[in-house]
Amino acid sequence: MAFFAVLGIPLHITIQKLSKAYGVLWALRDLNLDLPQGEFVALLGPNGAGKTTLLKLIAGLIPPTLGTVELNGVPFSSTHAPSRAQIGLLTPAGHLYENLTLRENLQFFTSLYKQNHDSTAIDAALKNVDLIGRAHDYVSTLSSGMKCRLSIAKWTLLRPGLLLLDEPYGVLDGSGVDLLENFLQAHCGKGNIVILASHHVARVLKICNRAIILHQGRLTFNAPRQQPWPDFDRAFGEFLPHGELCSS
Amino acid sequence: MQLLREAFLLLRKDLVLELRRRESLLTMFFFGTLLLFVFHFSFDLAPERVAEMAPGLLWLAFLFTGTLGLAQLFQAERENQCLEALLLSPLDRGALFFAKVCFNFILMLLVEIVVIPLFWILFNLHTWNLLPQIFLITLLGTAGFCVLGTVLSAVTLRARARELLLPLVLFPLMIPVILATIQCLGAVLRTGEIGEAVPWLRLLLGFDVIFLTLGVLVFDWVIEV
Repeated sequence: MAFFAVLGIPLHITIQKLSKAYGVLWALRDLNLDLPQGEFVALLGPNGAGKTTLLKLIAGLIPPTLGTVELNGVPFSSTHAPSRAQIGLLTPAGHLYENLTLRENLQFFTSLYKQNHDSTAIDAALKNVDLIGRAHDYVSTLSSGMKCRLSIAKWTLLRPGLLLLDEPYGVLDGSGVDLLENFLQAHCGKGNIVILASHHVARVLKICNRAIILHQGRLTFNAPRQQPWPDFDRAFGEFLPHGELCSS
Repeated sequence: MQLLREAFLLLRKDLVLELRRRESLLTMFFFGTLLLFVFHFSFDLAPERVAEMAPGLLWLAFLFTGTLGLAQLFQAERENQCLEALLLSPLDRGALFFAKVCFNFILMLLVEIVVIPLFWILFNLHTWNLLPQIFLITLLGTAGFCVLGTVLSAVTLRARARELLLPLVLFPLMIPVILATIQCLGAVLRTGEIGEAVPWLRLLLGFDVIFLTLGVLVFDWVIEV
């Protein structure tokens, strides 16, 4: 049964010929990718390269025009609820109900994922992101950075096998960035996969173990991290401000 | 059971949000009451003609107030891309449909509990003894409205001018419910008993059951389009 295959985490993700067209415009074309467990992937590329489209395709939020995403060899279908439980998408200040309190948001989403954590676990998650003092406040009273911290708490509790992140750095302060990176590295350390799309190239390259570059909807670079990394500098150089090297 | 558990979770969330925001219910309540006063001042009806006009006027008020509620039905999910969060979760999407139908049904019911007696007072009707039958028919009609309205509200969710589009697609498809409800109410007010309205009640009940089942089955597809 596909159901049991998918639940057999840790995940192995295989993307084959994944393509997405909006009308006559190909946002993503013929993308092939193989991600074993524990992989931390930096998804890089200029604006309009197709990064967000790729994340949404993997999450099943938009249907592909062509191609498949397989979780542990089973084609992923967004209509298959147990498969969806394996994939998380962290958007910096989104996916939270403004008129519910922080605690109510976490209780609601953990119940939806059938992970009924007790209040101690929820308190611990809030404490971990320095929001325990705001547990009874509405989300609408939080800053964008605090909402991002709350999202980190949410995904800490939900523990998806594959976590996708779309530009999480922009709203976080210094301690928030440390918090996020520690969480992501710990998450990968447990055999989960993380795909992080960002323009903060130097930061992402320090923590990832693979980088992929998209340009005009095509995969132009895909390699495990090295130090130094001249191949990456060459591939990504044209998207950087003049004279800057990012992998060093 | 899983579907009902998830639907209850979503319904509780919607009710808590509505209690805190008080947007939909207050708007619907004031609009419904306002319409009754407009009808009252516009139509100078003789008492014997009121019973003829009452079903149509009442349902006109419910249709307009209900459409206001439907336009706001997914408002909480539109903010902060919460719909995406629900679609990402392993939730049975039939539960989302069922919860939204129940939520809209509760809101309309609360409005009707105020609007129907107010209509009787404003139009000086003396048939208070018929209110239980009137409520029963209205419940079935409201259920049909909420079931079909929730499907169409989801269909038009991503449309640019959804507030305009929703009534345009909803009202023609609602004709069986409107017709059956008005005929039922008319028969009860005319004869003073429910017997003559039974065939129309069957039609209403059939409509409710068919569209509720269809809604649970197709909502997975509808909400993704």
